[in-house]
Amino acid sequence: MSLIEVKNLVKHFPVRGGLLNRVLKKVHAVNGVSFTIEKGEILGVVGESGCGKSTLGKLIIRLLEATAGEVIFKGRPITHLNASELLPFRRQMQMIFQDPHASLNPRMTVGNAVREVLSFHNIVPRQELATKVKELFSQVGVNLDSIDRYPHEFSGGQKQRIGIARALAVNPEFIIADEPVSALDVSIQAQVLNVLMDLKNEFDLTMLFISHDLKVIDHFCDRMLVMYLGFILEEVPCQDIHADALHPYTKALLGANPVSDPEKRHELTVLEGEVPSPYHPPQGCPFVTRCPLVTEQCHAEMPPLVERIEGHRVACWEV
Amino acid sequence: MLSRFLKSREAKKLFRDKSAIVAMVVIAGYLLVALAMMFDVVSRDDCANVVGPNSVPGFFLREEPERRYEIARTSLFGKVKRALEKSDPEAALAEVQLGKLRVADKTPAELQAIVDEAVAIQDQLKEAESLDDDPEMLSLLETFESITAELVAPLSGSDRFMHGVALLLGTDAQGRSILFRGVYSIKVAIQIGVVTALVSVLIGAVLGSAAGYFGGWVDALVVWLYTTFSSIPNLVLLVVIAYAFQATDSDVKDTLLPVYIAFCATFWIGTCRVVRGETMKLKQLEYVQAAKTAGFGSMRVLFRHVLPNTSHLLLINFSLLLIGAIKSEVILSYLGLGVKSQPSWGIMIRDAGNNGDVMTGFFWQIGTATALMFVLVLAFNILSDALQDAFDPKHL
Repeated sequence: MSLIEVKNLVKHFPVRGGLLNRVLKKVHAVNGVSFTIEKGEILGVVGESGCGKSTLGKLIIRLLEATAGEVIFKGRPITHLNASELLPFRRQMQMIFQDPHASLNPRMTVGNAVREVLSFHNIVPRQELATKVKELFSQVGVNLDSIDRYPHEFSGGQKQRIGIARALAVNPEFIIADEPVSALDVSIQAQVLNVLMDLKNEFDLTMLFISHDLKVIDHFCDRMLVMYLGFILEEVPCQDIHADALHPYTKALLGANPVSDPEKRHELTVLEGEVPSPYHPPQGCPFVTRCPLVTEQCHAEMPPLVERIEGHRVACWEV
Repeated sequence: MLSRFLKSREAKKLFRDKSAIVAMVVIAGYLLVALAMMFDVVSRDDCANVVGPNSVPGFFLREEPERRYEIARTSLFGKVKRALEKSDPEAALAEVQLGKLRVADKTPAELQAIVDEAVAIQDQLKEAESLDDDPEMLSLLETFESITAELVAPLSGSDRFMHGVALLLGTDAQGRSILFRGVYSIKVAIQIGVVTALVSVLIGAVLGSAAGYFGGWVDALVVWLYTTFSSIPNLVLLVVIAYAFQATDSDVKDTLLPVYIAFCATFWIGTCRVVRGETMKLKQLEYVQAAKTAGFGSMRVLFRHVLPNTSHLLLINFSLLLIGAIKSEVILSYLGLGVKSQPSWGIMIRDAGNNGDVMTGFFWQIGTATALMFVLVLAFNILSDALQDAFDPKHL
């Protein structure tokens, strides 16, 4: 059984306005995505800004309510649970946020931020709280002297480590990392990714890793989903994405990715055209406005996400 | 909490501002005085009691001869004279009293002699057309003053000191000490300011953050409530509430409660609006989202993660509301709808105006009240300005 199963998840944000505050239009943020995450796996989600990756993460962890579809965690649907029914699941899934500077309460010491989570869920007995906090801080590599400091005294990388410590405080099985390194500079990115990797092995974590950086995904994940305008266009294992990628959009993304070896030249696919408006997504494939392989059929009908070989699904009529 | 504030960047910015420090010292002084009033250093009775003749000038002013004559005449002299005419002068004399002043320990016959002497001089003075510019009359006036002074029993140490203090800024038309009344009004003003600002900020913070955080019908209700309240002209509502309490027969109308209710009913709106907006911003932030994913209940998220981060707004609003409450209290008391049965700057200003005294040069009552109020409000204005700058992250 998969740890997480997402079935036809849909999220539309209503845009209200006018005199009577009616729904004028809807932002189609996530349009019926389905996938599974196996225990111990890291699933990457990649896509450009506004493609619905973060919304997807927030839907799974119930920070947002889904318009339709469901999320099944360990065989139990959690999409319609109320706050108290959800509480046991809160202990099993946690989130690491994008902006380390905004993810810690500025009026709370970092030690207290972690301690609050521990004591709220009764993770350890009261008298062991301090020890547990220290343990978590040393696991993420934050100096133990700084437990009683406030967030503004830390660098971005340090804050992100503390954010990770807070997420790990409840001993979760599943972590959603929403662009955890995109706000950090490259040298720090590597450090934080290594911390995450170590912890993943130590805690036997399963992860949904959201990023717009293909290199990070390639390095870090087992499998990745390529999202575009709220649709999954391709799901591909990360062993050798350059060879395996089939969808023209994935290829274009890979082509746009800078390579650190100046000797190694590769073909650059420049995408023409604009991303369609999320208010009025095209009837057929969302990628029609920019796709080099576009045909009549693409305009008319959304291609289904078909499994080509095991673990590799593509939504395209032409490949 | 406090030690952390003192180390923070905001506190450093605040303490670098010299005008803010002066303002804080002034406010601290006012608070100390208000605290002293709480312990009855000057009691409410001290303010209501007659301490000397009417309209004694304050600010160490030497009064014009006409006025000096009036003061000497209306002091103990008149009362002693009347007491001696009674059938039982001994008993009548024992009751003669003007503030702390009592009749000197002399037999009625001795007192009669002094009074007769004074009356003789008084007749001469009455005949004089003008006491001004006439050296003869002036020396006569001085004699009159010293003779009438003999009627008064000399005061002992502390009484004499208090008597001097009470007359420092003169007396009003009823012979009450203006200094006492002015200083006691500090307590009234600060009491009203602090209670109103505290309660209003509390109501505003709770309603505003709940509206901003929960949205939906809570938000609709709170917004409806404050738009309704703010569409009623502020002062009119205060007047209505004050009148409503006046109509009741209970003792409540003599306390400050009507004033508190009237002010709190309208003053929370500004804070509520600001906190609501800030909460709507804060609830999008990742630490609030993180608190939600941790499974914390809404109350915990609201009171531990959202509200503490609006504390700078609450502080600034508190100091602004405090000034507003003090000023409104003065206006309301001036109109006779505010403070009852205790002194207030508004009442002092009204008294000064009512008797037409200001026109005749009787300025120390209105002067004391406005000066005390002016300094306090100015200090708070400077402080809230400095607070605003200190908590503004864009201001260096």
